[in-house]
Amino acid sequence: MNASDADAALVEKVRLGDVKAFEMLVVKYQRRIERLIGRMVRDVDLVPDIAQETFIRAYRAIPQFRGESAFYTWLYRIAVNTAKKALMELKRDPLVAESARASSRDEDDETSRVENELSDGETPDAVLASKQIAAAVNLAIESLSEELRQAITLREIEGLSYEEIAEMMNCPIGTVRSRIFRAREAIAQRLRPLLDTRVGERW
Amino acid sequence: MSTGSGTDVRRLEQLSALADGELDDAATALSCAHWRGDARVRATWHAYHVIGDVLRSDDLATDPARDAEFLRSLRARLVAEPVVIAPQPIPWLGRQSDPSGVRATGRADGWKVPGAVAAGLVAVAGVFMLTRGVEPNAPGEVAVARADAGVTAVPMVVGTRRGEATAVVDGSASGPVPVSDRILIRDARLDAYLAAHKQFAGSSALGVPSSFLRSATVDAPRR
Repeated sequence: MNASDADAALVEKVRLGDVKAFEMLVVKYQRRIERLIGRMVRDVDLVPDIAQETFIRAYRAIPQFRGESAFYTWLYRIAVNTAKKALMELKRDPLVAESARASSRDEDDETSRVENELSDGETPDAVLASKQIAAAVNLAIESLSEELRQAITLREIEGLSYEEIAEMMNCPIGTVRSRIFRAREAIAQRLRPLLDTRVGERW
Repeated sequence: MSTGSGTDVRRLEQLSALADGELDDAATALSCAHWRGDARVRATWHAYHVIGDVLRSDDLATDPARDAEFLRSLRARLVAEPVVIAPQPIPWLGRQSDPSGVRATGRADGWKVPGAVAAGLVAVAGVFMLTRGVEPNAPGEVAVARADAGVTAVPMVVGTRRGEATAVVDGSASGPVPVSDRILIRDARLDAYLAAHKQFAGSSALGVPSSFLRSATVDAPRR
C-alpha cells in the first residue's frame, strides 16, 4: 500500500482484529462499491447482495492485504471479481434470479408491484430521499464561506492531503484541518434532518 | 449531533481528520472507540462520508435508511466470521504519534529516507577505509611512519607533498605538534613504542608482518 493511503490506520486496526474499524470502512465505501456493481450487473436487486459479498470477501482476505495498492483499489478489484462471479453464475443458471422474481411477484398485490419494478433501492421514497440529500449538500456548499468551501473542495473533490492544501491556501495544516471540519459540520447540520430524524438510533 | 461541548467538538474534529487519513495511530484508536460506543459518532461518520460522496457525484446520494440497513445486514454476517488477525503489521503503516493527533506529514518524514541513504554511504565508506588501511601517499591524509629504533631524539620530519617545502623540527620538543592537512609525521617516541610492542602483535599497526609469524607446512604421514 502506498504511504498516502487515507485508510492505512483503519486497515491496520482491522488487521489486528478490530471488526468495528472494518465497519467504518464499510460505511465509507458502501455507496461507491454499490454504484460500481450497479454499472456491471444492471439488476439492481442483486447489487446489495453482491456488495455484501464483496465486503465479506474483503474482510476474510484482509490478512493477505500487503498494502501494495490503496485499500480502495484493492476493494474495487474484489468488487469487480465478485460481480463477475455473480454474472457467471447467473449465466449458468439464469432461471434462479428470474424465478425468484416471479415468485415474489405472484405473492404481491397490485399496490406493491410498482415497488418491485423499481426494486428495493429505487422506491419512490428512496429516489426522493436521494435527491433531497444531493440538493441539501449542494445548497449547503454554496452557503459556505470561500475559505471553508475551498478547503473541503480541495480535499473531497481534488483528493489533496492536508499538507498540499496548506501549501495551496498558504496556511498551517492545523488551520486546514479545522476548516475542513467546520465545513463538514456546517453541511452536516443541514443534512441531519434528512439523514435521520432520530439521531443515532440507526447507527 | 450537538457540537456545543468542547469534548464533542474535539471528538468530531478527530473523526473528520480520520475520514481524511490524517490522524495518527493513538488518535485513530480513540476515534474507533468513540465509534464503538457512541451512536452519534457513528451517525456523524456516515454523514461526513455522504457529504464527500455527494460532492464527488450526485449519483452517490442514496437513501440513508438503505445505508443503515446495509450495515445491519453486514454486521449479522460478520458475527459469523472468525476474527481476522494479520501475522504482522504492514511496515509502511507505522506512524509517529503527535499530541494533537495529527499524522506526521510527508514533509516531516521527508528527510528520513535520504538520511538513511547518507548514513549507509558513510558506513560503507568507513568500512572501506578500515579494511583498506591508511595510504601514506593519499592526498589530504596524515600519515605516521616508523623511524629507526633506538634513536631517542631524532628530528621529527614534517613535510608536505606535491613538492612543497619541508621543515625540520626538534623531536624532543614537548607538547603536541600541530598537525596540518597532508603532513607526514615521524615520531621517534612512537617508533620506540611500536618496536617494543611489536612482538606482542601478529602484525603492527602499520601492517608490517610480525617477525614471530612464520609459515609452517605440515606433511601428513603417508600410510
